[in-house]
Amino acid sequence: MGLIHGLTAPLQYEFMVKALVLSGLVGVVCGVLSCYLTLKGWALLGDAVAHSVTPGVVLAYVLHIPLAVGAFVFGVGSVLIIGWIQSQTRLKEDTVIGLVFTGLFALGLVLISKTPSNVDFLHILFGNLLGIATPDMIQTVGIGCLTLVVVFVLKNDLLLFCFDPTHARSIGIDITRLYYILLTLVSLTIVVALQAVGIILVVAMLITPGATAYLLTDRFDRMLMLAMLCGLGAAVLGTYLSYYWDAATGGCIVLMQTLWFLLAMGLAPKYGVGRRV
Amino acid sequence: MPHPMSVELENVTVTYQEKVALHGVNLSLKSGSIVGLLGMNGSGKSTLFKTIMGFIRPRIGRVQIEGLPISVAQKRGLVAYLPQTEQVDWQFPVSVYDVVMMGRYGYMNVLRLPRPVDRRMVQESLQRVEMWALRNRPIGELSGGQKKRAFLARALAQQAKILLLDEPFNGVDVKTERAIIQLLMELRNLGQTILVSSHDLVSISTFCDQVIFINQTILAYGATAEVFTPENLTRTFGGILPPLPWRGDV
Repeated sequence: MGLIHGLTAPLQYEFMVKALVLSGLVGVVCGVLSCYLTLKGWALLGDAVAHSVTPGVVLAYVLHIPLAVGAFVFGVGSVLIIGWIQSQTRLKEDTVIGLVFTGLFALGLVLISKTPSNVDFLHILFGNLLGIATPDMIQTVGIGCLTLVVVFVLKNDLLLFCFDPTHARSIGIDITRLYYILLTLVSLTIVVALQAVGIILVVAMLITPGATAYLLTDRFDRMLMLAMLCGLGAAVLGTYLSYYWDAATGGCIVLMQTLWFLLAMGLAPKYGVGRRV
Repeated sequence: MPHPMSVELENVTVTYQEKVALHGVNLSLKSGSIVGLLGMNGSGKSTLFKTIMGFIRPRIGRVQIEGLPISVAQKRGLVAYLPQTEQVDWQFPVSVYDVVMMGRYGYMNVLRLPRPVDRRMVQESLQRVEMWALRNRPIGELSGGQKKRAFLARALAQQAKILLLDEPFNGVDVKTERAIIQLLMELRNLGQTILVSSHDLVSISTFCDQVIFINQTILAYGATAEVFTPENLTRTFGGILPPLPWRGDV
């Protein structure tokens, strides 16, 4: 009775219902994308895109255009800048990534400090799941669902793109297009997730579920399912935790993600640490 | 109307940032032949493969596959490429069956949902390379020879008319090497064109109908019996000759 009451009692508040729906969706969308990012080795790139959207979000706010548009332009733009700097200099990729995203993030921080109503922007940095406004919620749900649909339509193409782009090219699949599609999906997902956990922790949502699932299975379809479940479970449980402990929601959700990962790392039958003892 | 050549290169020159990798390459490969590609490292073997695949656009010259431009040939899945094994992430969570099914993607609709014909082709291809029993195994748990067979099965499932094999016998046991050669000869008899690079001169000379010697350009090209000569080998490899078949024979 205690448990059931504990789970249902918060549902009498509209803000909790909204937060749970939204965090669940964010968990699922990020879980799916995280499989591709883990397999493609794009973790650092994901972090870079997440930080780089900051100035875009601030500018969008100032110009009264949808935050998603600003975030998207800067997210994709950052990757284009990374590619351009790499082609013009002798620097290695991770150096250039570190350079570009910290520069853009710094620009975002300066813009935040120079913009009058800076309360909203702290929410962008740290997330504001429990206080999300209805228009933001609608936008987030819309983008989240769109992302899910695109990933599921292109599921196998994206898998082939990550696994063997040479073969994809040789049978006439446009891998440049797939590259930009995946990049766009990552940017959109970041827009969705930053409402929930904030820019600083977004990358955890985009890596941890995929990493956890990767330790648990050798089948891609199962990996997708497991990553979605991890993301969903962490998001919902994290939101409850944050309600009862009165703690930062984003932090609670990511902590749950990390807990799943540690459990998988310890207990996974084939790739866990425990199998050796 | 004469049947078009399987692979046709006319006066092809390829450059990487002003550095010439291939120049003046003329090549006509007939259907139903196995052609060996011999050259040192950096002689342009990979460049030639990539040019035929359409990954590199020649600076000058023209490439045609079965009389078609490369982009059309790609869409029809006419050319299959077997890379050297190191180029794939073997920890990837896909099974042998999944990999071979990727050979069928070009025939499927946008969702890439396998139809019965796709499943049948995958099964036949896997049986042909004797890998059907291992179909559910993750690719990371295969031996070197099994990996090669799995990717060969993918090329079979793709129903490619032209097979490009880059050093297929590297890291492969003798039994698998013989099985692969046997299969290549069967495919040749069915009218497929096979271009295989190798530095194992002994085996190349035994199963290839024709041989190409390459070093930035075609040094010699013709029937194995005619061009596989000490002179051409010396021209291609300079002083550092690998072991030669006739040293033991004579």
